[in-house]
Amino acid sequence: MKLSKVLFSFLAVIAFFPFFNPGLVSAQARPANRVLLYTSVPQQLATAFGNAFMKRRPDIRVEIYRAGSTEVGAKLAAEREVGGIRADLLWLADAPIYYDLRAKGELMAYISPEAKHIPADLRDPDGYFTAGRLINMIIAVNKEVVPLKDAPKSWKDFPDFGKKAAMGNPLYSGSNFVTVATFVKKDGWGWFERARAKGVAVVRGNSEAANALAGKEFAIAMTLDYIIAGLIKKGAPLAIIWPEDGVISVPSPIAIIKGTKNPDASKAFVDFVISKEGQEFLVKQEVIPVRGDVNPPKGQPSASQIKFLPIPYEWASENAAVIRERFEKIMLH
Amino acid sequence: MTTSNFDRRYLLMMAVGLFILLVVIYPLWQVFFRSFLDAGAFSLKSYRKVFAYPAYYRALLNSVWVSCVTAALCMVSGTLLAFLVVRTDLPGKKSLRTLLVLPYALPSFFAAIAWIQLLGPQGYLARLFFQLSGWETAPWNIYSAGGIVFVLTVHYFILVFITVAGALERMDASLEEAARASGANTYRIMREITLPLVLPAILAGGLLAFIGALANFGIPALLGMRARFFVLTTSIYYALAIPDFGLATALSSMLVVVALVSMTFQFALQKGEGRYTVISGKSVRPSELRLRSMRYPLFSCTAVFVFCISIVPIFSMVLTALLKYWGAPLAQASLTLEHFAYILKLDTGRRAIVNSLFLAAVAATLTTFVGILISYMHVKARLKGSRILDFLATIPYAVPHTVIAIAMILAWAKPPVSLYGTLWIILVAYLAVYLPFAVRTTNSTLQQIHNSLEEAARVSGAKIFPRLRDIILPLAWPGMIAGWILVFMPALRELTVSILLYAYHTETIGVVVFNLQDAGYREVAAALASIVMGLLIVGNTVIRRLTGGAAGF
Repeated sequence: MKLSKVLFSFLAVIAFFPFFNPGLVSAQARPANRVLLYTSVPQQLATAFGNAFMKRRPDIRVEIYRAGSTEVGAKLAAEREVGGIRADLLWLADAPIYYDLRAKGELMAYISPEAKHIPADLRDPDGYFTAGRLINMIIAVNKEVVPLKDAPKSWKDFPDFGKKAAMGNPLYSGSNFVTVATFVKKDGWGWFERARAKGVAVVRGNSEAANALAGKEFAIAMTLDYIIAGLIKKGAPLAIIWPEDGVISVPSPIAIIKGTKNPDASKAFVDFVISKEGQEFLVKQEVIPVRGDVNPPKGQPSASQIKFLPIPYEWASENAAVIRERFEKIMLH
Repeated sequence: MTTSNFDRRYLLMMAVGLFILLVVIYPLWQVFFRSFLDAGAFSLKSYRKVFAYPAYYRALLNSVWVSCVTAALCMVSGTLLAFLVVRTDLPGKKSLRTLLVLPYALPSFFAAIAWIQLLGPQGYLARLFFQLSGWETAPWNIYSAGGIVFVLTVHYFILVFITVAGALERMDASLEEAARASGANTYRIMREITLPLVLPAILAGGLLAFIGALANFGIPALLGMRARFFVLTTSIYYALAIPDFGLATALSSMLVVVALVSMTFQFALQKGEGRYTVISGKSVRPSELRLRSMRYPLFSCTAVFVFCISIVPIFSMVLTALLKYWGAPLAQASLTLEHFAYILKLDTGRRAIVNSLFLAAVAATLTTFVGILISYMHVKARLKGSRILDFLATIPYAVPHTVIAIAMILAWAKPPVSLYGTLWIILVAYLAVYLPFAVRTTNSTLQQIHNSLEEAARVSGAKIFPRLRDIILPLAWPGMIAGWILVFMPALRELTVSILLYAYHTETIGVVVFNLQDAGYREVAAALASIVMGLLIVGNTVIRRLTGGAAGF
């Protein structure tokens, strides 16, 4: 093979590449009316939702960056060092991070006309952020490993399953962090010390806990309801238990970044997320709505049937580093 | 040597130096100096933290011993296999070779998942074992330090295999012939001629495996958590999650230090390398060793090994892609093709395949090209200062990919030169990540080309560029193609760098696989990874056909 031939084909590839994927060569060659959304909402859901919004507002283009909570956090930290956050909108499951961003003055206040339909405890009174969806931390059971009647009924009994029980790592996942903070604020670290002594496994995140549960590596797992619902739909022998001592219903807030170049489009997106139409769209994707006037997905108990644990957002946000470090010391070393 | 000739070589060196400065040094410096900052002022707080908490220095020690054991196992298995496949009359060696290289295209967390599926507490092999033995638990545990070493070895031995196989192919057989003619037996020839000749390649490959294991995140993250076994890369990730930027950068700097120490060792071991130059003007193809009665026993051993490390994990991944859900019983009713259909219908999926093919091809070509220049200056021209270039170019290999991605944002996301949000920032990051691979493989390639050939050209009046074009590159060509593939394969499935740097329309295969996996769509992610594997197999076959078997695996 001749060197010149190789170089030639190499240059040809580079030259023709932009035709396969126009619009990516420079960031400037993009429409003016676009908003950039950073999110940890599952990719399929985020994309489908973005498309639904663009159907309603064809003049706006939503560009989605989706990654895990930790990756989004690292990206925000790095961007802060070089001139500020680039996103227009932020939609994460890590609720306490919004208190931190608000304290740093990085959020824009906006009280949507739709906000009055959202319960007051699911939004910031000054309008810096609003819950866009709810995800529930529940106990999931593999019925082929443990009969449903022997499964734990409450979080209190959860650690007794020892090595047969799994939970996600709060250092990876925002919703797990909120759960840990809620437990600690309520009862201190005793639950975790007991869990550690009995050998409860800490796995990467909620989807790994769910997958390992379906793969019979565990009998029970602390994980998110919609992941388990998805697996049950595919035929996995799992069941959801709504703990008697309280479900942790993690709001996944949406906020506008102060430095946004397109406040109107950003506001329009927030309006759509919490509008009746937007919430009904989410319900069709098995997501729990934040509006009282929208019914939850079929098969989900309604809010009045479940007990919820109060989440100490501000406390969790102020003590985030301490909580994560303490968890690491108890559960991971 | 004329003065103008002398100047030109330094001109080349300055160009390469500038490249390394922009792609490697400047971005990493942006991270490094932040490890000494606390609220904007100079402080050693982060470093004190590393040594104050046993958890962090234990992670450092864990990293070192896991990587040492992994590298040793890789060197033994990689060298043995390379020898069997290249220098003996083992049946079916061409196919064995292809199969050995394939699993390297699996993203490392997929490799880990595949092994969990096989050896995990409820894995297929574990269940088979329960049925055969009547035991309730398996005598092995994949979620352990041993499990991490095992999966890392299976993942990285290929680096030793490829470099050693290349060296064995290019070595001059006349030395062995001479020894044989003088009555030395096969064992003695191996020990005193062959092994010393390929030693630089073994060491170069071993170093790659060592640092690869040191900087790997996916495997210890998946297998170490349940055993509460932590290494530096997983600790760095936690530091980022806390978030403690200073601690993360301090831990990363320590990782780089460990890698630099090991590189210095390797450099020291390789001093006085005149004796390793084995391709000289007259080339005799190395003879094949006849295995005689050992032929079939050795073939079965190799075949079983290849079956275990290559076919089984790939099969496990494809099986996951076909299952309705992870953990579904193995029956016809739970198999489906819908995950493949899903991924091909997904806009992002198709776009990611195009983006990744482009990025991987460009990154592989540029790094191989720069790599051969650096190696030429260091190994052949022995220019002053070239050794430093070689050293600097190898540093990013030891930096966790997450940190490289952050470095790129810090360096290239602010005006006047903002590449952020375009494909180019991912490309620059890939260049940094894969330059070390290219430098190491081209290094061992060039070490085997005897200086006499270039000298002859120089004496006849050929200048630097004609010499590179007409002598060095043609001779180094097969080694360069092997090196190219060694960059192309991992770049095609790169995840950790891309996940922080990608933007709308610049998704890569790794990003899509990760996001699917993270949302619980493990089967769809496996389907995409299977498609990539298929592309690689087809691509490899095409390259082999086009070049008549001279290139490809």
